[in-house]
Amino acid sequence: MNARGLAAVGFVALGFGLGAYYTTDGLGVFSAANLIGGTLALAIAVLAALRRRGAPGGRRGSAAWVGVALALAAVWIAQHAFERAGLAFDWTADARYSVAPATRQALAALPQRLTLTLFHDGGDNRTRSTRLLLQSLARAGPVDVRERQLDQAADEAERYGVAASNAVVVALGDRFEVVERPTEGTIWEALERLTSARQAVLYVARGEGEGNLERSEPSGFSGLAAALQNEGYVLRDFVAAAAEAIPTDAAGVLFVAPRRPLRESSLAALEAYLERGGRLVALLDPGTDTGLEALLGRWGFSLPPGVVVDPASGPVEGDPPGVDPIAFEYAAHPITRGLDPTKMTFFRRARPVGVAHKPEPDDELRALVFSSKRAWVTTDVDAVEHGLAPKRPADAGEGYQALLAIGRFPRAGGEARIAVFGDADFASNRYLRSLYNLDLVLNAVHWATARESAITTRPKALTPDQYPLTPQQSLRMLYGVGLLIPEACLIAAALLWARRRSA
Amino acid sequence: MRPLLALLRKELAVLFGSPLAWLTLTGVGLVTALLFFDHLRIYNQILFLYATTTMGGFDTDTIPTYVNLRDQVFLPVMETLGLTLIGLVPLVTMRVFSEERARGTDELLAATLLTPGQIAGAKFLATFVFVAAMMLLSFLYPAASIVRSNLGLPHLLAVYLGLFGFAIALASIGLACSAFTESQLLAAISAYAVAFVLYDFRWLAQFAPEGAMVWIDPLSLHPRFGSFAEGLVRPADLVYFGGYALIGFALARVALDPRRR
Repeated sequence: MNARGLAAVGFVALGFGLGAYYTTDGLGVFSAANLIGGTLALAIAVLAALRRRGAPGGRRGSAAWVGVALALAAVWIAQHAFERAGLAFDWTADARYSVAPATRQALAALPQRLTLTLFHDGGDNRTRSTRLLLQSLARAGPVDVRERQLDQAADEAERYGVAASNAVVVALGDRFEVVERPTEGTIWEALERLTSARQAVLYVARGEGEGNLERSEPSGFSGLAAALQNEGYVLRDFVAAAAEAIPTDAAGVLFVAPRRPLRESSLAALEAYLERGGRLVALLDPGTDTGLEALLGRWGFSLPPGVVVDPASGPVEGDPPGVDPIAFEYAAHPITRGLDPTKMTFFRRARPVGVAHKPEPDDELRALVFSSKRAWVTTDVDAVEHGLAPKRPADAGEGYQALLAIGRFPRAGGEARIAVFGDADFASNRYLRSLYNLDLVLNAVHWATARESAITTRPKALTPDQYPLTPQQSLRMLYGVGLLIPEACLIAAALLWARRRSA
Repeated sequence: MRPLLALLRKELAVLFGSPLAWLTLTGVGLVTALLFFDHLRIYNQILFLYATTTMGGFDTDTIPTYVNLRDQVFLPVMETLGLTLIGLVPLVTMRVFSEERARGTDELLAATLLTPGQIAGAKFLATFVFVAAMMLLSFLYPAASIVRSNLGLPHLLAVYLGLFGFAIALASIGLACSAFTESQLLAAISAYAVAFVLYDFRWLAQFAPEGAMVWIDPLSLHPRFGSFAEGLVRPADLVYFGGYALIGFALARVALDPRRR
């Protein structure tokens, strides 16, 4: 058999070997024998061909082969240089591989190198995306990335409690967390759990119809509870009606939309707590008068009854236009760090929260988040609650309406801090992860409890605009553009063929 | 420069004057259109279902995470189109050098003022123009649909950039194979074989040590163009594909060396 015949045999064997490998997804005797035999046959054919032709002649032949070697070297060097530089451009609609500031911050603060181990089985297509995500994280900080096949590292998988493919073990020293659905957000949360050394106790007021932090339905606040726990808070119930005083271990007290008036004794306990340097975060819906409004009034806040109507915001979920303001005006403050007009927050039927007067000269009172300057306030809360468009009185003044105000109050017992939101729904499960709501509410809690170092902009799961085409539109696109091009190409082929035949 | 441009023009005229080339364009256009339509149709139907029934809607965050453009449309289309390119590109490249050799017209070319490098360069360039035209034609319909439905156009561009790089690599393999033989059939078959071997080295992992796979695996074509399907454009991958063109060109230049005839 000559070299050409041997080469043909080699190609056929290689083709069958690879075909058998890909179709059975494994290397059996048949595919292995074909691959080895084919490679050998090709190697012998090449050697025979070279021998028959003789060595590349003279200086020019050698120079040409040197050119091939140089090309190989140049490609290898350039490729590795780019690989080491870690340059990558994320063109995904949801910015999947762009590492968020919170993750960068967390990675930069790591006390030691982090190890991310991806466990997978060979045929799992999801691992490619996860692998790229882990590589993005490795480029952003001191991270070692490893991969383990589940069937080959069963002991290691068992030690970590990994049961399914595409799980990532986030390990920092001896401590580890298993992330079953790896995204940047879930890995960041695992990292937070691993690194949050200091825990703070946050008392959550209950007993007066407040939002429930255990309920997981859309109107519940379990998402807020999970996010707070994730960022180092221990949540404890505080039944205001039964409490004589706020416990001394409280890093802060959280009120989420109380519906009924608080008892005088509860308000007195809260007042006393603030006087001795307590921390309060209140999420107050419109249409209620709980007594907190009056208490906050004594601390310089102004909470007029009414709902903010912002004509710059469109209708949401059947509500009349304007009553669900989208805020994009922020005053500079640690709570709003990282937020700008492109990073909006969404409120649902919010009341205005103003600042009226400073109780003491050294106090600091500020409004931080605003509606647009075209907003006004309606006092017809019932109409808004029933989904009716509020009528605008002729004398209604337009202007920026504050949706979050904060205050710092240095007192003999310590510095009291208060953050008041004019809405609670924005932090409900339904809206917590809308736009930058999660960042705003968590950063407010961090500021109020004097944990400013935890303030950050968290990884987002961005959803691209998704407007599906109807089947009719899809078909129209296919016939209008999709099939027109191949048809034109086929006509060109036919014309050329006909011309050649007639020539 | 003038002889070089004349050769480039001639190569383009030969390429675009061949019914086989237009049939290849038809094949790529048709496969892309049907494939993309089918995947987009299913994706749109699922989205529509979620948007119009009591299951929820776009603003209620109830669309499962697996229903996304990347997993439902871009990844499967790119995988299948990549395999289609392996089948079609060698049909275009097989005759570029080998036909000249078989007809003896390579001797005429060698007698011109053009160096082997210039001859190889002109042929490579003309083939790349054809490949670019092929990818552009197959891009139009998906792009129109993506723009119409307000989905991720940059991601689609990344997909096509990857496919273009992959096609350039395949064309370079095909051209190098064509330069070493006068048989078009052998040129095509060897291009298929080399492309399939380089496509994915995962099969080697069964018997190669893990340390060796760290070096061998990055040579595979598949993971490189897979990153583009994920929407991630890495210059290292572009250099990798460009490297095929450079090495293919250098090999073709060796084959055109007059002393080797």
